[in-house]
Amino acid sequence: MKKITKTGISRRQFTLSAIAGSAIMAINPTFAAATSDKKLRVGFISPRTGHLGAFGETDPFVLSQVRQALADGLQINNETYQIEILDRDSQSDPSRAGQLAKDLINNENIDFMLSTVAPETINPVSDACEAAGIPCLSAVLPWEAWYFGRGAKPGQPSPFKWTYHFSFGVDEFYQTYISQWGLIETNKKVGVMYPNDADGNAIRRFLKPKLEAAGYTIIDPGAYETGTSDFSSQIALFKREGIEIFNAFPIPSDFSALWRQAAQQGLTRQIKIAQIAKTGLFPSDIEALGGLGNKLASACYWHKDMPYRSPLTGQTGKQLCDLYEAQTNKQWTQQIGACLSLFDAAMETLITSADPKNKVNLAMAMRKLNVSTIAGQVDFTSGPVPNVAITPIIGTQWVKSKSGPFKFDYLITEHATDPNVPIAHKLTPYNA
Amino acid sequence: MSQWTNSVTIQRWTPSSRYAIVFAGLVLVLLALAPLFASNGLLDRLTALFIYVILAAMWNALAGYGGLISVGQQAFFGLGAYFTIRIADLGLDPFISVALAALIVGVISYPISLVMLRLKGGEFAIGMWVVASILHLMVNLDGLIQGETGISLVSLNHYDSAQRLTIIYLLTLGSMAGLLALLFFVLRSKTGSAIQAIRDNEEAATSVGVKPEKTKQLLFVIAAFGIGVAGALWLTSATTFLPKTYFSVQWSAYMIFMVLVGGIGKFEGAILGAIIFFLVETWFSSTGVWYLVSLGAIAIAFSLFLPKGIWGELERRFNWHFLPVGYQVVEKNKINTDKK
Repeated sequence: MKKITKTGISRRQFTLSAIAGSAIMAINPTFAAATSDKKLRVGFISPRTGHLGAFGETDPFVLSQVRQALADGLQINNETYQIEILDRDSQSDPSRAGQLAKDLINNENIDFMLSTVAPETINPVSDACEAAGIPCLSAVLPWEAWYFGRGAKPGQPSPFKWTYHFSFGVDEFYQTYISQWGLIETNKKVGVMYPNDADGNAIRRFLKPKLEAAGYTIIDPGAYETGTSDFSSQIALFKREGIEIFNAFPIPSDFSALWRQAAQQGLTRQIKIAQIAKTGLFPSDIEALGGLGNKLASACYWHKDMPYRSPLTGQTGKQLCDLYEAQTNKQWTQQIGACLSLFDAAMETLITSADPKNKVNLAMAMRKLNVSTIAGQVDFTSGPVPNVAITPIIGTQWVKSKSGPFKFDYLITEHATDPNVPIAHKLTPYNA
Repeated sequence: MSQWTNSVTIQRWTPSSRYAIVFAGLVLVLLALAPLFASNGLLDRLTALFIYVILAAMWNALAGYGGLISVGQQAFFGLGAYFTIRIADLGLDPFISVALAALIVGVISYPISLVMLRLKGGEFAIGMWVVASILHLMVNLDGLIQGETGISLVSLNHYDSAQRLTIIYLLTLGSMAGLLALLFFVLRSKTGSAIQAIRDNEEAATSVGVKPEKTKQLLFVIAAFGIGVAGALWLTSATTFLPKTYFSVQWSAYMIFMVLVGGIGKFEGAILGAIIFFLVETWFSSTGVWYLVSLGAIAIAFSLFLPKGIWGELERRFNWHFLPVGYQVVEKNKINTDKK
């Protein structure tokens, strides 16, 4: 295991303290507060507005649950620490995410940073923490895009000392898709629409060859640019090839255009499994498609029927989501549990570090973390690389709700990457 | 206004501009000493401010002096960052990579200028945007960048955090000072007069012996180089390279805002505009969409009601010329002593 060494006091820092030591204490109250032993400041950066806003919409609810659970402080090594969470909205803008991270590090003197959702938020935040030597834990972004997308090279030692990430990766999609697509008899011909963006390129590069090796014929018309309005040539190709499975990683507006054209041009009639990622994570995406949303197959990184309990709040997924629906009159989303699982893992890191004010200890505690969260086990000791822990992807289907109160139910159809999760529904063909 | 006589003289420096130069020098010295006493947070924010000053000064040189309005300058911002990543990946020190990357951007901008400067006015503006998009897509094709996934300047992690922050700060400060000095002397030189003559009337300028192509090319290459420096420095400060962030048209929008508000065609105006933009961003960017809406509204208001920007207005009212790049014609007995 690589040794983490604490940087000594530099000459600049020494001059600083020699010249202005007490003056800074006097003019900067946060400095004084941060050095008191019983208080920990935790930064949390997520996208609540902008194009990823749907992910962060539920964050205020989750934060209120976390703050309530931490109202009496956190017991660490027989001492009570008050936890202050400083939450910030990245506005889905990478520059802003990086600036917020640096502000929390430099001006708010945080002890620990948390971040969630997509490379646009997590990568700049992680990089800012790595630069400043601040422990950072993040979740909900395929780990390859976090690890290789920040300059790590396959086969070389991890260049990251301070930043850790738990999430699914391409391999989880592979296992889930193989499991899901085996549920219905098809001709194993898969039409794919992978865009020319971070997810699309990673999926084309890593997932496509594995699916082909597993016996599927992949019909790939090539990468399309986000914002394309005419998909008729791709649709014609899929019809000609007689595909029965359709797989795409589109943003909602692209999928809406694509799927309406596919319906008009008769492609959807031959599709037995329409496996859509990225779009369809949230009920609002599906409702926006009207009748075409019914029976779309999906895959989730968290589900309220997962049989786990949050060690922090003590709630099960169902209790948590019922409370959310009662408070907001909105349907639960998978980000609720994923976000809480980040806080579950973070608080466990603080507890197991024994001395959470020591940043080296905190980083070491993340490396050894193996804890049950509301999203299942987060285990950094068995990850593919030292800074990464793998979490599951569960196959699901959107089905028109029979009993309400919402238009669609999101039902679990397979559990290859986490067999503890109960299957609730038999996958039904899209064109049935 | 007294009657026009032929007893006029040409004035470049005024007492206030001499004080201003001394004052600017003192500010630079103070800023260079800032790492001794300023907090990390302040140093980091000042680094961003210096980059904004570079961007505003370069766009102002292009539009305010050369009359070349571009909405595609993010092309060079993105390329500066991209080449830094590319060169650092070969194993060079990241800060040396910054310098090399900026030089490469300057060199690449020359052939681009040969094509683009054939376009006029709005065609040039939009053409530059097209160039930026094409370069963005080409950068995405590089396997190292992994499409829109991007990559980080991971070799910076070899520096410890305090050292890293100080180097980036001083490098940015030095680059800003150097680029401003370069612009100042180019614009004060014979070439500078030629540049402004072309802006005001290209045919008339040609008739008195000015060579428009060469002069515009010089300005285009300087602006590209400066913005390349800014992009490379922004990358060292942010670490993360996501192509669509660096090649985003928002950078051009910010440059236009800074120059319009500060004062287009005024050397001091661009600096003032960058400071105003920096303060507005610091105070209001947390309001999200409304922040962007307000930026746009303010820029429109300025172009309608205060087309010369804040500095233009101050100059008109108080006859201030702190960093004069032009010539003033004054009556001999009314030489500007700033006592009006």
